[in-house]
Amino acid sequence: MKYQREVIGFIGFSLVLAALYFALIQTGPAKFFTAPNAQKLFYLHVPSGLITYLAFLMVVGGSIIFLYNGSEYADKLAKSSTELGIVFGFMSLASGTFWMKAEWGGDIVNRFLTDMRLATTLAMWLLYIAYFVYRRQPDTLQVKKNSAILGLSGMLMVPLSYLSSRFLRSHHPVIVGTEDQGSLDPSLRFGLYLGLFGFLLIFIFLFRMRMEIENLERDIFKSKMERL
Amino acid sequence: MRFITSILLFLLIIGSVSAECRNKSCMTNEFIFVEEENSTGHVFYYDEVFNIGSNWYIIFDYPEANTNTTISFEFDSGVSKIHSYDNSIATDSISFSGSSFSEENLNMNLKIIIEGEEGMKNGFNLSIDINKPPADDLFYLWGGMTVFWLSIGAYVIYMSTKLTRLRAK
Repeated sequence: MKYQREVIGFIGFSLVLAALYFALIQTGPAKFFTAPNAQKLFYLHVPSGLITYLAFLMVVGGSIIFLYNGSEYADKLAKSSTELGIVFGFMSLASGTFWMKAEWGGDIVNRFLTDMRLATTLAMWLLYIAYFVYRRQPDTLQVKKNSAILGLSGMLMVPLSYLSSRFLRSHHPVIVGTEDQGSLDPSLRFGLYLGLFGFLLIFIFLFRMRMEIENLERDIFKSKMERL
Repeated sequence: MRFITSILLFLLIIGSVSAECRNKSCMTNEFIFVEEENSTGHVFYYDEVFNIGSNWYIIFDYPEANTNTTISFEFDSGVSKIHSYDNSIATDSISFSGSSFSEENLNMNLKIIIEGEEGMKNGFNLSIDINKPPADDLFYLWGGMTVFWLSIGAYVIYMSTKLTRLRAK
């Protein structure tokens, strides 16, 4: 199919719009929240956070495979996923900061330093910023190997960030895998799944676009090297 | 840069000067209650709108030759306070916490009963509107939502431009 990627992106965008319609228009301000309007960020904040974890886990997977058999595709996958993880991570962190300021108030910087969920997620994000910056140089074998080793740090950072609100000092709510999961209102779940599938499709759309860029860049780099 | 700093400073100051007013001049209503003929009465100063989330005050002037002992305030919902007279001052006040109510309610009665020395009671009602101000978190909602669209939009534009440039090569 010629426009498969664009169709995926369009469906994803439509699902996110549907999630927004559901969150902002169909359901009224949330009860039991200090900031009942800002709570609507939940429908996109949680999906963007989960997609960030997915992207960084793909970096880990790609890095392991590259170090194991030197697969070029695995390296491209890790490099492309890093960029997407940074974009979705930024969305999650920034939207969470807006929501946190409305719901909890107080000093934002202090919260990022003292709340372990926030601190570990920011640390994970900054680590992959470092990966991204490191890969701004020509893709030599040594750069790929070093990047893969750096990418493996996600094996520690992703679970640490995800589990920090369960086992470390944090105000961040935990729902999945706890008793509260059953108490989630079905309508809340519906909106959340709309946002999640929407972002997943947008992620696939962006990922395929990024992979095409990566392929083109490598082809150009290869032809330049051959000419030299 | 200096302009942005000035605006931020202005907004910071604006945000911190809106403290609750506890003076008679801030009260929108006045009610005089005379217990006996030919005597000065109590004067109550109050705002007829009780905004949920902000403390609500009622200020009262004692009558001359005051011999009363207590004055009680009771809303229809059951929220109440009893105040003992202080004969050394002419004006006194009480307050209700902004969290006394959670839902809007128009024309709620506030029953005020003044008790005399020998157990004599006089009372009257004031009508108060309980108002729920709109939540001020919309700024944060739209700020957060903007993040999503700007991030995805900027990234798609960045990649499209790059893709076009690479294809041309």
